[in-house]
Amino acid sequence: MSSVASSPGVTRGGGLTGRPRSFSRRVADSPWLYRLASVAVVGTLWQLSAMAADSIFIPTFTATAGAVVELIARSDVWEAFWLSNEALLFGFVSSVALGIPLGFAVARLRGIEPLIDPYLTILLVVPMAAIIPLLIMSLGIGMAARVVIIFLFTFPIIVVNARAGVRQVDQNLIEMATSYGATERAIWRRVLLPGSLPPIMAGIRLGLGRAVTGMVIVELLLTPVGIGGLIHESRARFQSAELYGVVVLVVVEALILISIARALERRIAPWARGTALSD
Amino acid sequence: MSTTTAVKPRRFHPPGLAPLGRIGGSIAPTVLSLGAGAILWEVGARIWNVRFLPPLSDVLVRLAELTADGLIVVSLRNSLINLALGFGISLVFGIGIGLLMGAYRKVEMALDWWVYGLDTAPGLVFAPIFFAIFGLGPEPIIAIIVMYAIFTIIVNTVAAIRTVPAPLIEMGRSYCASDRQLFFRIILPAATPLIMAGVRIGMGKAVKGMVNGEMFIAAVGLGAVIINAGRRFDSAAILAVLFVTIIVATVSVKIVQLVDARLTGWLPATQRRRRANG
Amino acid sequence: MIEIKDLSKTFPARGKDAPVEAIHDLNLTIRDGEFLTVLGPSGCGKTTLLRIIAGLEPWDHGSISIDDKDLRGPGPDRAMVFQSFALLPWATILQNVAFGLDVRGVSKKRREERARELIDMVGLKGFENRLPGQLSGGMQQRVGLARALAVDPEILLMDEPFGALDEQTRRLLQEELLVIWEQSRKTVLFITHSMEEAVLLGDRIVLMSPRPGRIVDIVDVPLVRPRASAVDSIEGSAEFASITSDLWQRLREMQTFRRHHHQDEPAA
Repeated sequence: MSSVASSPGVTRGGGLTGRPRSFSRRVADSPWLYRLASVAVVGTLWQLSAMAADSIFIPTFTATAGAVVELIARSDVWEAFWLSNEALLFGFVSSVALGIPLGFAVARLRGIEPLIDPYLTILLVVPMAAIIPLLIMSLGIGMAARVVIIFLFTFPIIVVNARAGVRQVDQNLIEMATSYGATERAIWRRVLLPGSLPPIMAGIRLGLGRAVTGMVIVELLLTPVGIGGLIHESRARFQSAELYGVVVLVVVEALILISIARALERRIAPWARGTALSD
Repeated sequence: MSTTTAVKPRRFHPPGLAPLGRIGGSIAPTVLSLGAGAILWEVGARIWNVRFLPPLSDVLVRLAELTADGLIVVSLRNSLINLALGFGISLVFGIGIGLLMGAYRKVEMALDWWVYGLDTAPGLVFAPIFFAIFGLGPEPIIAIIVMYAIFTIIVNTVAAIRTVPAPLIEMGRSYCASDRQLFFRIILPAATPLIMAGVRIGMGKAVKGMVNGEMFIAAVGLGAVIINAGRRFDSAAILAVLFVTIIVATVSVKIVQLVDARLTGWLPATQRRRRANG
Repeated sequence: MIEIKDLSKTFPARGKDAPVEAIHDLNLTIRDGEFLTVLGPSGCGKTTLLRIIAGLEPWDHGSISIDDKDLRGPGPDRAMVFQSFALLPWATILQNVAFGLDVRGVSKKRREERARELIDMVGLKGFENRLPGQLSGGMQQRVGLARALAVDPEILLMDEPFGALDEQTRRLLQEELLVIWEQSRKTVLFITHSMEEAVLLGDRIVLMSPRPGRIVDIVDVPLVRPRASAVDSIEGSAEFASITSDLWQRLREMQTFRRHHHQDEPAA
C-alpha cells in the first residue's frame, strides 16, 4: 500500500504512445536546443565537406554566410529583388482578384462545374514552366510576360480552393438561413462567404507559395534581370558564395511571405480546420 | 423580408451540391467538355493565326513526327529514369524521415525548421547549386526532383502519425501492447491513408520537378526538348511534349492512387470520397 | 478486490485554463464479482477514475491496489470497453476480437478459436470477416465487448459503452450484457450518466459529484439477481422507480447547489 507508483507531475502523456515521461526527460525536451543543434551540425558538416572538396563551386558555410551579409548591404541586390517582386505582386494580386470570384461562380453554377472541372484539373497538373517558352514567343521577355506567368502559376489553386471553400459550407447552415427567409444575397453574405473563408485563406497561402515559385522559375529560365540576373552574374563570375547567398535570400523571402500568409490565415479565420486542397 | 402569410417555398439550389458521382456515368461531361475545347482550339487557332498556339492538328502531327524520329522516345525514357530515381529516393527517405520525426519528438524538434522551411521554398532555386556541384547530366535533375517531392512526403507522414486517433492508441495500451507493437500494429496502419495522400501529392510535384529541372539543365529529358524547341520557336513541339508530360503526370499519379486503394481499402466510403476530392 | 485510498488527481493548467482537480481524496473498495456502476454528471471524474484503474492515467496522491498488489500500469487482469468502440478499422472482426490475445503472443490458431467463441457469444456469428465500417454501432460495441472478454480479465472496465448508441440498441445491449455477465460474474466497473442504466445493471451505485470529483454516496441496489430475463418487469417495478427518482433528486441537487453556491462542499 505504497503511494504513487507512476511518475509525478506529468504535464501531458509523453511521447507518441502516451506513457508518462520522467521529469529529467522533460527538461531536455526544449525544441530550441535541438533546432540550434541541428543548425550547428549542418553548418559544421557543410564547412568540413566544402573545405575537403576544395572546389570553386562549393563555398564554405562561413563564406556563404559572409556573402549573405554582403548582399544585404548592396543596394543593387535590393533593386533586383524589388524588380522580381513587382511581377510577383501584380501576378499574385490579379490571380486572387480574378480567381476567387471564378471559384465562387463555378461552385454556384452546378451545371457548369463538370464542364469546367477537367480544365481546372489540367491546369493544376500542367508544369506551368513549360508554358514559359510559349509565352515568351508572344509576349516577349518584359514585365507583361512575367506577370502572366506568375498569374498562371497562382490562378488555378486559388480557383480550386475558392470553389472547395463554398462547397464545404455546411448544408444545414444554408437550409437554416433559407428557413429564416434569407435572400440569396443574404445567404452569400452571412453564410457562404464567412463559411468559405478558411479554405480561401489557405488557398491564398498556397497561391502565394506557387507565385513565389513562379517568380523563381521565371528568373531562372527567362533572361536575367532581377534575381535571375544576380544568379546569372554570380555564375558567370564563378562567385559561388554569392550564388549560394542569393539562393539563401530567396528562400528566406519565401519563408517570410508564407509566414505572413499563415499569420493572416489564422487571424482572419481562426476557426479553421486544415481543409485546404493542396496541389 | 419574410411575411407572415404563407410563402411559396423558394427553390434555392445550394451551391456545392454538384453531384459527387464522378464515378460511373459522369465521364460524359468530361469528354464533352474536352471535346468541345479541342474543337474550339482547332477552329480558333486556324482563324486567328497566333504564333504561340498552333492548331491542335499541327500539334498532333508534330508529336507524330517527333515520335517517329525517336526524340520523344529517348527523352521520355530519360525523363522516366530521372523520375523513378528521384521519386524513389524521395519516397524512401521521405517516409523514413517522416516516421522518425513522427515517432521521436527529439527528431522532430531537430528537423522541423529544415523540413517545413524547405517545404515552402521553391525547389528550383536550388538548381544552380546542384548544377554547380554535379555538373551536366541526370544527377542535378534527380536532386531537383528530390527537393520538390521529399518535403511534402515528410510533412504528410508526420501529420499522419500525429493524427492517429488517440482512442485507438489508448485501446492498444489498455491491452498491454508494447511501444513497438503500438507503432507497427496501430499507428502505422492508421497513418497509411494520410501518408499515401502525401505520396500522391509528392508524385505530382516530382513530375513538375522533373520537367522544371530538365528545362533548367537543358541537357536530357522532356524538359530539355521543351527548352530547345522554345529556342527554335517551335510551339507545336512544345505543346506536343507538354501533352506527353501531362500523360506522364496523370499516369504516375494514377498508379499511386491504385496502390493507395489497395492499402487503404478499409476506409469507409465517405472518407474515401473526401480524400479523392482533396 | 480493488482498494482505492485517498486518491487525488489534478490536471495541470493548460494555456488559459485553470488546473482541474478531477478527483479529490477518493476512497472506494470494489468487491470481487460485483457489478459496480459509477454515476454522475459530466466532469465529475468518473471517466478519469476508470482510466486510472485501467492504468492509462497516472495519479497524484493516494494508492490503488488490486488483490493487495499495487497498481502499475495496464495489465492482463483488466480489460476495457470504450465508448467510441476503438476498433481497428483495417482489421476484420475476427482480428479485432483477437487483438488482445495477439498482443500477448498467443498463437494464431488458438486466438482465432477463442475469438470465434466470443463472436458467437455476442451474437455476431457470420460476421468474422467483415470490417468494422460495415457494422452498425451496436454490432461494433459487441465486438468491443467480445475483445475485452477474449482475454479473460478479472475486471471489466466499461466507459459509458452504450453512450454512443440509440436507445433501442442500448436496451438490447444492456440485456445482453446482463446475460453474459451473469454467466461469468466478473468484477465490472461501469461508467454511466444514465440513472436507469445504473440501477438496472448495478449491485451498487457510486454517486460522484464534480469540482472536485468525489464520491457523494454509495447506493445499494437491492433488486434481485439474475435480472437478465426480467428486465422489463424490473423497469416497471415500484422499487426501480423509487431508486431512480431518488438518484435523480440527488443529481439535480448537485446542479442546483453548484449554480447557487459555487462552493466545494458536498450537497446536503
